[in-house]
Amino acid sequence: MLHCRAKQRASTVAGSRVTMAGKSAATPSTYSPSPAPKTKRPIFQDVDWVRPDGRGFHQCRPAFLKTGAVNAASGSAYAEFGNTKVIVSVFGPRESKKAMAYSGTGRLNCNVSYTTFAMPIRGQGSDHKGYSSMLHKALEGAIIVESFPKTTVDVFALVLESGGSDLPVVISCASLALADAGIMMYDLVASVSVSCLGKNLVIDPILEEESYQDGSLLITCMPSRNEVTQLTVNGEWSTPRVHEAMQICLEACSKLAKIIRSCLKETASAPKD
Amino acid sequence: MMVGLSVGEKHFIQGGIAQDLRTDGRRRLTYRPFNVETGVIPQANGSARVRLGGTDVIASVKAELGKPSPSQPDKGKVNIYVDCSPTAAPMFEGRGGEELSTELSGALQHCLLGGKSGAGAGIDLSSLVVVEGKVCWDLYIDGLVVSSDGNLLDALGAAIKAALTNTGIPKVEVAVGASGDGLPEVDISDDEYLQFDTSGVPVIVTLTKVGRHYIVDATLEEESQMSSAVSVSVSGQGRICGLIKRGGAGLDPSVILDMISVAKHVSEQLMNKLDSEISAAEACEEES
Repeated sequence: MLHCRAKQRASTVAGSRVTMAGKSAATPSTYSPSPAPKTKRPIFQDVDWVRPDGRGFHQCRPAFLKTGAVNAASGSAYAEFGNTKVIVSVFGPRESKKAMAYSGTGRLNCNVSYTTFAMPIRGQGSDHKGYSSMLHKALEGAIIVESFPKTTVDVFALVLESGGSDLPVVISCASLALADAGIMMYDLVASVSVSCLGKNLVIDPILEEESYQDGSLLITCMPSRNEVTQLTVNGEWSTPRVHEAMQICLEACSKLAKIIRSCLKETASAPKD
Repeated sequence: MMVGLSVGEKHFIQGGIAQDLRTDGRRRLTYRPFNVETGVIPQANGSARVRLGGTDVIASVKAELGKPSPSQPDKGKVNIYVDCSPTAAPMFEGRGGEELSTELSGALQHCLLGGKSGAGAGIDLSSLVVVEGKVCWDLYIDGLVVSSDGNLLDALGAAIKAALTNTGIPKVEVAVGASGDGLPEVDISDDEYLQFDTSGVPVIVTLTKVGRHYIVDATLEEESQMSSAVSVSVSGQGRICGLIKRGGAGLDPSVILDMISVAKHVSEQLMNKLDSEISAAEACEEES
């Protein structure tokens, strides 16, 4: 079962550190690159295999979310899920480019880019060119585009460090940034991915688990409306497994949405200095 | 592209789908008659052309020798790329068709190439290796959209399956006594070919949701009325090899699960029909 006891700890820096693990999870350790390339080891065949960071199979990483990371943007957010660090800024609504045709509804423009130092091998982030359109698809179902006609909202996501499960973190952080910018949405969007490793379903995989995965399922949903805005399945699955994976993910998404909401409430109620 | 639909036409399409009678007389879960030709491109290792109603797509497979990636030395590489030609629609000229091309290429890679460890891949990549760690076959699968009347993804999936059945990889002989570090010398035979085993290649079924009902094989007009679509890739054994939800509207999870079971049911008929069409096309090609 998914562990989620939100522990609110007052912090000196504006933001909220909320843990999703029952046991006291270690603060995300500083990333230290491993010098030698690892040989492939079939460790996932063990029945009593434990995940490298000690989590249960259905346990997500502790989430650190903070709004207002970028001053110049209309809204921004910074998210840290274990070793995955992402910053998203939202600009707009601002005037559409003159070359664009008139549009009675608003436009959404998304861009996801990786820093050159995000992956263990320099420049490997350019493999993920499809993420921008996937972010667009995930968000377009949730934003009320009629509220900003003739203008464009730009969402720029930058992955500072890739620790696995990058796209779900980007999507969740983007919805927090959009809420921080005051863009009207039907609901917050939360996203979680699950990896299939042999017989096991492992939620929120880290980079190492992702490289050995047999299949993955990424789901983005609006928890209050119980609607799925994006679903991508990779690898070979049987239908009962898809059921099971969707159940696990939807529960995790609703818990993640609560955490995003509590972060927004803290920012709103924090005294302005 | 296409002329916009009037309000009356939109109501007609939606009403017809609700009553299980579409504008061209089909039922909701019926495919348009499709036609497969193989070996249409003599210079490629394998090729096929699929016509699904008004949609016309060509897939070609070219194999070149290359080096396997360091993380997976015992597997070959496959690249899938789709190009939308301006003959299909004038807006595809230059960079106009790029967005659609990227979406289709990504969707096909998702459905056919399986997970990162290689499990569930429609194409058996370990059969492409020549010398482990040094030489392997790189397959370049290129799709070309010649004419678009909706349901491009299903047509491309069928064309790729047919093209792979038609593909012949030349037999390679490795020179004996090759040095340890350098690339071994390989001799590519001109006469002997190895055929691919495509029984594991999945077929893609796209279910388009219009109003409260799902239809299979939507035409361009029906696609303009869709709220969302789910493309499911199902293998011959009935396992799901990939799933992508397209379209902006949100879907209830139970609706998605229902669409998956409908897609599996439809895929059996499609797989049988496609297999018989491909074998007929191959037989035709051998005679000529």
